[in-house]
Amino acid sequence: MCSLQIISPVRRVVYAHQAQNFPGPTLYSLLQTQPSANMFQSWADAEDDIPVPEITTNADGTKTVVSFRLNAKGQKVKITQKIKEVKVKERVHPSIAVRRGWAKYGKEKHTSPGPDTRTTQLGEKVELKLAASWKEMEKKEEDERAEEKANLVGTKRLKCRICGSGLHLTFQCPFKDTLGGEAVAEAAGEALESTKYVPAHLRAGAPSKEERDDSCTLRVSQLNTMVNEDMIRGELFGKYGPLQRVTLITHRDTGESKGFAYVTFHSESMAERALNELNGKGFYSLILRLEWSKKKKT
Amino acid sequence: MRPIKLMGHERSLTQVKFNREGDILFSVAKDSSASIWYSSNGERLGTLEGHKGTIWSIDVDSKTSLCATGSADLSTRLWNVETGECVYSWEAASPVRRVAFSPDNLRLLAVNDKVMGSKGAISVYRINYDNVYEQSNEPILVIETREDATKVTVAGWSAEGKYIIAGHEDGYVSKYDGETGAFIETVRAHGIHNEEKVVSITDIQFADEDRLYFITASKDKNATLVDVDTFKVLKVYPADAPMNTAAITPKKNFVILGGGQEARNVTTTSESQGKFEARFYHKIFMDEIGRVKGHFGPLNTVAVHPDGTGYVSGGEDGFIRVHYYDKSYYDFEFDAERTDRVMSQAQKANA
Repeated sequence: MCSLQIISPVRRVVYAHQAQNFPGPTLYSLLQTQPSANMFQSWADAEDDIPVPEITTNADGTKTVVSFRLNAKGQKVKITQKIKEVKVKERVHPSIAVRRGWAKYGKEKHTSPGPDTRTTQLGEKVELKLAASWKEMEKKEEDERAEEKANLVGTKRLKCRICGSGLHLTFQCPFKDTLGGEAVAEAAGEALESTKYVPAHLRAGAPSKEERDDSCTLRVSQLNTMVNEDMIRGELFGKYGPLQRVTLITHRDTGESKGFAYVTFHSESMAERALNELNGKGFYSLILRLEWSKKKKT
Repeated sequence: MRPIKLMGHERSLTQVKFNREGDILFSVAKDSSASIWYSSNGERLGTLEGHKGTIWSIDVDSKTSLCATGSADLSTRLWNVETGECVYSWEAASPVRRVAFSPDNLRLLAVNDKVMGSKGAISVYRINYDNVYEQSNEPILVIETREDATKVTVAGWSAEGKYIIAGHEDGYVSKYDGETGAFIETVRAHGIHNEEKVVSITDIQFADEDRLYFITASKDKNATLVDVDTFKVLKVYPADAPMNTAAITPKKNFVILGGGQEARNVTTTSESQGKFEARFYHKIFMDEIGRVKGHFGPLNTVAVHPDGTGYVSGGEDGFIRVHYYDKSYYDFEFDAERTDRVMSQAQKANA
């Protein structure tokens, strides 16, 4: 077993608060380091112990902290931090200052001063946007997010089968000759582990029926029976952005189209645009009828 | 804003309360211990141990020396805030749903529930500060539930302890004399704005600066603002779910409402449908102006920081969330307010 020393000088100024002692990540734990190939050293150089953090005071009043820690892979990481301490003085009512010094009691009797992470944590950031029209603002943001997602779909569809990257095609994969490294090994391991047949709908990552959201779905009826799903995707709704799902209802026995289909968009605004522009228009000799697949909640 | 999450309770919260300066936060829940926190960093000062049942309510005097709790174990207890010691306990015939110190700290009211053959009443005790261990066991005043009224659910003191304001199960709010307990008048604050069947008043909180008006929250999905002197409903804030709590913000003209779908239906709906947000309304224009998400269950209680710098919410999910406002909160104004301010500034400049 060898430990690898990766040295990456990361500099960052951390403003330490003295008055407010919030729980949360400590100053020493927030740095990310990237392993780089040319830093690998001989196993003989390995050191097992971690030196104590070295703190030097700079001329401008800041402090430089050099510390080491082991990362998840057992590699030793050197962390260099530049810290500026800022004392925040707060004027408070004398009675508040007195109460700050009270001894703890009850369930907190023997705990150390400062907030205990078991009872006190910082929550996720929440937004409070005050506006007379906050409802419209929220809806607009949601639509924007959906549109972004819709735009992503086009670029993400093609994935390399070897390394899973969406940046190149399988035959261009740089790992083509190496059997794909970890990703391939993992997949092989999985295949060996589970010999039992698992139906498609029970596999991990299988779409579930309950999750389906029909708020962006249109029902398209009075379609010519010769129209198939590809024609709906391409000719009919091609210019209204990529579609999440198209289901053309067909006769069970003959496979012939029943003349209506369900089309799901990525956002409600896209669906609405298609509905407004295409409803009542002709398509292959018939006049289309478009409506929301589910009655909208008001 | 990044809220501080306080996880000191094992069951749903029943009330949170700030002391007068806002540096200490008191919280009680359906488990049997109360927690006391420093509001600036969420550090817990301690817990009050001794009750044997749900604690429904907590209040602190203006000097932050004594606090009182009302519990379902048929007792009202008085505690020393500095040491966490229980200094006195009053026994009652029924669970105590609400306790409140009078503004002069000398009286404490306790709302007794209407169960187990007891008719329900508001008991007022005198607080002896000379020797806190020796309190008079008998209340100095008992306001029995009137024949023509339903049980009292919440109560509080108006300015200088002049009146006791009580909220009833049928949506009425009554005014009693603070000294004699004589009934003065009543007004129907809830149950008239919509067709809801359950109209019980769930919370009464006074305006911090002068206690001359108060806000009521009700299961009828509304909150109302009522003036103490004229005893008329000034404003109505409609919501889309039963409301459990309401508070008036100091400094800014807002009110905060909290509630959500009934606790027993929570498991059958998703978080986004449950309406578990804190709602901000403009106090004067009555428009809803924003919401804050975060809880997984209905909000049971909300308290505003006396400096107007933040608020605290306690939910059915057992968490307390302490929020300090961002700058945008202080900057927000309605167009009418902005024009008004600019006009008055211009007038001053001219003069």
